[in-house]
Amino acid sequence: MKKMNTLVSSIAIACAFFGGSVHFASAAECSGTIRVLAQPRDGLTLLEKYKDEFAKLSGGADFKIDYLNENDRRAKTKADASTIGKYNVYYVDEANVALFASSGWLAPLQNYYPKDYDYADFDPGRQKVATYDGKVWFAPLTGGGDLMVYRKDLLEAAGIQPPKTLDEYVAAVKKLNQPDKGIYGTALRGQRGSGANVWRWMPFFKGFGGQWFDGKTPVFDGDAAVKATQTYLELFKYSAPGSQTGGWDEAVGAFTSGQVAMLIESTPLVGMALDKKSSQVADKIGYAPPPTPLTGGGYGHGLAIGAKANKDEAAKQCAGLFIGWATSKENEQRRLAEGQFSELNRTSVMTSKTFADMYGAALGQALADTGKVTAVNFWQSAQWPDLGDRWGIILEELITGTRTDIKGGLDELNGFAKDLVARGQ
Amino acid sequence: MKNARSLLPTVFLTPAMAILAVLALVPTVYAVFISFQDRELSRPDGRFIGLENYIALFSDRRFLNAIKVSLTWEILTVALTLVIAVGLGILLFECASAKMRNFLSLLFLMPVILPRVSAAFVWKFAFHPLYGIITYPYKAITGQPLDLLSNPFTALGTVALVDVWQWGLFFAVIVLKLLETLPPQPFEAARLDHAKTWEIYAYVALPMLKAPLISLAFVKMIESLRAFDLIYVMTRGGPGISTETLDMYAFSQGFIESGRISYASSMAVLMMIATSVAFTFIWKRAKI
Repeated sequence: MKKMNTLVSSIAIACAFFGGSVHFASAAECSGTIRVLAQPRDGLTLLEKYKDEFAKLSGGADFKIDYLNENDRRAKTKADASTIGKYNVYYVDEANVALFASSGWLAPLQNYYPKDYDYADFDPGRQKVATYDGKVWFAPLTGGGDLMVYRKDLLEAAGIQPPKTLDEYVAAVKKLNQPDKGIYGTALRGQRGSGANVWRWMPFFKGFGGQWFDGKTPVFDGDAAVKATQTYLELFKYSAPGSQTGGWDEAVGAFTSGQVAMLIESTPLVGMALDKKSSQVADKIGYAPPPTPLTGGGYGHGLAIGAKANKDEAAKQCAGLFIGWATSKENEQRRLAEGQFSELNRTSVMTSKTFADMYGAALGQALADTGKVTAVNFWQSAQWPDLGDRWGIILEELITGTRTDIKGGLDELNGFAKDLVARGQ
Repeated sequence: MKNARSLLPTVFLTPAMAILAVLALVPTVYAVFISFQDRELSRPDGRFIGLENYIALFSDRRFLNAIKVSLTWEILTVALTLVIAVGLGILLFECASAKMRNFLSLLFLMPVILPRVSAAFVWKFAFHPLYGIITYPYKAITGQPLDLLSNPFTALGTVALVDVWQWGLFFAVIVLKLLETLPPQPFEAARLDHAKTWEIYAYVALPMLKAPLISLAFVKMIESLRAFDLIYVMTRGGPGISTETLDMYAFSQGFIESGRISYASSMAVLMMIATSVAFTFIWKRAKI
């Protein structure tokens, strides 16, 4: 039993064909079970249908994916990687890749990612997010930036053009807010967390010219942060009920159930909003880049090789093979066929004719346009989750009215940031 | 023969004590040990810093708030659970037939059988301001959504209701069964003396049940200290930090936010000392 997750044996390089027309370049001799700790993704669930294919490819290995929601996944991966390390593959993201890489909890991906799986085919923005200190650490499963998604029917009825500037956006949200008719102007994220409320607040902060640090000195406690927070709180007056302590799920749920006029969210929202199985507004939506001067929140999630559970080179090779297969072009085409828009990361797939046929040229154009304003909004440091989560709590207090002093909150964060930097030295 | 008999308790106790020592003592001693260090998850080595973690706790507003929240939670859930349990238990004993008692007992046992995380998700959805079945009547009547879990003044009480729903109903069944075991003579004597129903329970039945009720209170006090999963799923300690209990804050510091396991351990050690002292004090007072 103890050996269940132990990966044995070595990699034999050879070309092989499996599953009819599906081509995989490397055949290996792995055994045991590759344990993966991830958060729920349709693409990963789909992978589980093709376990036999991976078993053939790997020479007999199986894989088991444990799922936890985003915040819990972050806590559990951190606890596991820093202690016993029982997972061979971790689901990591832009916010914690620096911490995991600098702590030695991951193995550099490209040493073990089979070359034939063509890492260079991934969207360049996502490759950038997966890179820390000059090395690539994960293969993307999802990623992108932000899009402004709106209800065309509601905007047309109110005689409003899709906003291009933040002022126009705020005015439109106010005008479209009709709680008596069950329609709310927007939906934001209020739930504490560097990947929750802070993630949605940062485009305002960066858009107003804010910076986190100058070297090791915190410089965020200024006008940009105050103005960003004021604007965020102003918009919250028109945000759907439940979003004050809700995250992505609540905001997206409110929109796809037809109760929100417009919102700015991460790009996977479009795929969900267009999916008639889960969206009541699939035929009514339009999308555009975020209004000026907001930056898009560039992000990327993916699979990385755990350093502790994979004790030898052979085990790392097997974990690398699993990641290569899981993120391969073939598997991504399967996700496209299933309509899993948010699970697409490869340039070759997103520029394919099938993609254009399924989603139309307008979405491709919107994604290309939003790519121009997509930026890394967070502080790229191993200490970012600590700082971001602390600001998340203060921001949630401001949103729910537990505190009202924006500058006081930022000053408190400033003191915390100084302690944080001192602790890290 | 005598020696063998006197050895018997040792033979039975040793394995249990050994397991307890490994499972409880080792982590406790380790927690105390690292609470004097500055260890973080990302840094495997740590240095001794004496009482710095403990001193820092008393200027940490989240820690001080967590003490307040934990105390409020403890008092609220224990008191409400016992009031509901005694009230419902007496009501069943007085008003329900034997068959109905059995049926309702089965029904009242169900919430506590439900896994806490599942219960938390079900109730969280029930309290949702847009889709929740509990909040729907308010929205239908006033036209305004009711967001109890986002309101700092109602969030803790709302989560406490779920805790009381699970444990109050379960304890009501226990109180009912306790009442059924009491001899009928004191009740008959009180009725002959023209005691009113409430007087029978206040002055006869409940004093006879003092010992088991105190035990129930202790069980609930310990159980309430372990309400992490319920609060975590329903509010994650929010809005802001208004439902952040000590165990939740320690977990946040140790694993969610900072990875400051030494700092988190110092909180755990203080919690252990405070609860041991408080429980010993209450236990001794309750026995008098």
